[in-house]
Amino acid sequence: MAEPTMADAPGPESAEFDAVVVGAGPAGSAAALALARAGRSVVMVERGPFPGSKNVYGGVVYGRVLDAIIPNWWEDVPVERWVVRRSTMMMTESQSLSIDYRTGAWGTAPYNGMTTVRSRFDTWLAAKATEAGARLLTSTVATGLLRDGDGRVVGVRTDRDHAELRSRVVVACDGVNSFLAKEAGLLPQSEASHYTLGVKEVLSLPREVIDERFGVQGHEGVDIEILGCTRGIPGGGFLYTNTDTVSVGVVASLPHLAEARIRPEELIADLKEHPSIAPYLRGSSLREYAAHLIPEGGYDTMPPLATDGMMLAGDSAAMTLAAGMWLEGVNFAIASGYAAGQAVDRAVASGDCTASGLASYRADLERQFVLVDHKRLRKAPALVLSDRVQQRYPGLLCDLAEGMFTVVNPAPKPGGLRVTRNAAAKHGVKLRELAADTLRGLRIFG
Amino acid sequence: MNDPRFTHVGPLVVACLRITDLRPEVDPLTGAVARDAQGNGLSAADAAALELSLRIAGVWSGRVVALAVGPPAIDPVLRDVAALGVTVLRVSPETVDPDRGYAAELADDEQRLARTIVASLVPYGPPDLIVCGDRSTDRGTGALPAFLAHQLGAVQALGLVALTPDDTVTGGGRALIAERRLDAGWRERLGVPLPAVCSVEGAGVRLRRASLGGALTAAAAPVPVNGISPADRPEREEAIPAVRIGPTRVFEPRARVLPAPESTDPRVRLLALTGALVAHDPPTVIGPVGPSEAADELMAFLVRHGYLDPTDPEQAGTSGKGTGR
Ligand SMILES: Cc1cc2nc3c(=O)[nH]c(=O)nc-3n(C[C@H](O)[C@H](O)[C@H](O)COP(=O)(O)OP(=O)(O)OC[C@H]3O[C@@H](n4cnc5c(N)ncnc54)[C@H](O)[C@@H]3O)c2cc1C
Repeated sequence: MAEPTMADAPGPESAEFDAVVVGAGPAGSAAALALARAGRSVVMVERGPFPGSKNVYGGVVYGRVLDAIIPNWWEDVPVERWVVRRSTMMMTESQSLSIDYRTGAWGTAPYNGMTTVRSRFDTWLAAKATEAGARLLTSTVATGLLRDGDGRVVGVRTDRDHAELRSRVVVACDGVNSFLAKEAGLLPQSEASHYTLGVKEVLSLPREVIDERFGVQGHEGVDIEILGCTRGIPGGGFLYTNTDTVSVGVVASLPHLAEARIRPEELIADLKEHPSIAPYLRGSSLREYAAHLIPEGGYDTMPPLATDGMMLAGDSAAMTLAAGMWLEGVNFAIASGYAAGQAVDRAVASGDCTASGLASYRADLERQFVLVDHKRLRKAPALVLSDRVQQRYPGLLCDLAEGMFTVVNPAPKPGGLRVTRNAAAKHGVKLRELAADTLRGLRIFG
Repeated sequence: MNDPRFTHVGPLVVACLRITDLRPEVDPLTGAVARDAQGNGLSAADAAALELSLRIAGVWSGRVVALAVGPPAIDPVLRDVAALGVTVLRVSPETVDPDRGYAAELADDEQRLARTIVASLVPYGPPDLIVCGDRSTDRGTGALPAFLAHQLGAVQALGLVALTPDDTVTGGGRALIAERRLDAGWRERLGVPLPAVCSVEGAGVRLRRASLGGALTAAAAPVPVNGISPADRPEREEAIPAVRIGPTRVFEPRARVLPAPESTDPRVRLLALTGALVAHDPPTVIGPVGPSEAADELMAFLVRHGYLDPTDPEQAGTSGKGTGR
């Protein structure tokens, strides 16, 4: 087939696409990729000048989800570092207790997690979709939904001459707080407590300095998740290594942050000054600052995933998994986006793009990790963001460690129970509550 | 040949664009530039050049060809340009080594570049007007428009803040009115006959936005590439010899051996070693001398002060040879 030229490519005036995908983030590109591979006509509408230009995240993508979609994806993915060391750190103002895990297995194919820069990763994934035949329209905002006489969604309006893009299905992958989902009535009035605010700084450090300070080499990287660094505001912190930068940030519950009248950058400043973090960052210079909402409400706060002519994927459907040890959104966005694309393909083939024609999407996600994990961990956000876990346990555990490791000669070593009782009393935690929370945690995560 | 790109009658306006990373990172120590294709875009001056090309071609019922020299990484930007209904053309550069030294970039032979551009335009017919940005964000010398004008035998008007068709010209003729800044807020107004090469400042105009139809069409289409082989290049004249550039490296002055101070008093030793109380050489005034003698003086100064090693034949170049250090 001869290559199309600028002159003979079809214009949109007459065209109706099988699907318009709004947003070229991970969910949108995965949806467009699935559709283009199925031979459907699909256009991605992205408001940024290139995919990923507007996107903020912490820094780690778990690539297992890509295995089935892009074979050997690790050969050309724009990776910064492969995470081989993962640390969970609990801290108070002056103490910290870490569980540090390291394995060489994560440093070789097929790998586990990678740090990657979103502007590069999202561009890479979007290119997979355009190579498969999807069209990408950048610097274009979808400003609203088009509906037919029956109220069915039949396309989107854009900010280019207020022109319209008509399609059989609109896949809204426009991220957290999706305006399209709200306009479609899928996302009820936003509840602030379902969101956290993530803020992060990217700091420059020479590559060799990062290698030395974090004990890694070559493409090896480190992921440190932190609890107890947000002045009692429910949330947490993170520190990730990129090639010659590090990402440091905090995530904090939106209503609590507003109530505490603390600016988020103060929380990052605290974290950067902490004695366990500061040595990693000494001499670094600020390269980037960013902030973004995260839908952390989990399974119980997810909107319906489809209506007539429209479906939601990724953060627009609140699919980020934020469950203490895990903050994963990109892999959930990719899986849900790809499943959405496949569901549109089936719906178009059957000629039924109503909510019931698109229902196979949810059924598919229920068989996959996306809704299985969310359902199993549905109680995790409440536990992880609870008062005791956030405000008392980090100090309690640090004091417990201090009690066990402080040598008190000439007095004899205290027993573990006594140290626990003392630490619990100091932090106002009853042993009964500790046992109940342990049991609750086991039920959720076990 | 019935491709409308080539057969359209009416004046041909060419927007000559330099698409590059608008926010490159520069290593403060070595001057090495790290560019990222994602920063590629049109500078304000190039955006103004394109918008003025569109406006002028609109008045004249002419056509616009937007041309940029660069690697495939600039295609997304050219697609955005194509979305405006413009014919685009990417000319692949002769040198594609992104890692050549920065001095080599600075010394790029813009005359040869101008010849390549003019040759690439041959299929479109002779341009009536070429509009460029007046400066690039990426080390352009600003000399390209002049070289283009020379190649085409066209008039040139550079560093303009306004460029409009001259509507007083009658009888089918065409000309332009250009404005240029002068000191103290004054402007000079120039009558510019055609063919012309103009460069414009990034001021006063805003590049229009493509329609949805244009953007969609351009999103799916490949960007035409015109790789010109050296044999096809019209030689209007013998090339002037280009500056020869060797590899650059971080400046490391040669250590100068100083006699050990005689005193045993640490303070006196320190003063002697740092030369703090010693009268310094007064500034030397040389000349007026010719360029070659001036260059020799400068080289001798650099050798005297340890910046150049006279025993290194590569460094000890004399005036006229251009060592690139
Ligand atoms: C601080 C922080 C740290 C995080 N850390 C991690 C982490 O380490 N690992 C992880 O896996 N996840 C992390 N996440 C979550 C992750 O970023 C998201 O889950 C993921 O980006 C969701 O992908 P998405 O495609 O659904 O939405 P997004 O990535 O938000 O993409 C939405 C896209 O839609 C575009 N868009 C929006 N509205 C419109 C419109 N009207 N018209 C056109 N385009 C539009 C946007 O420009 C954007 O490109 C983090 C999030 C934050 C905020």
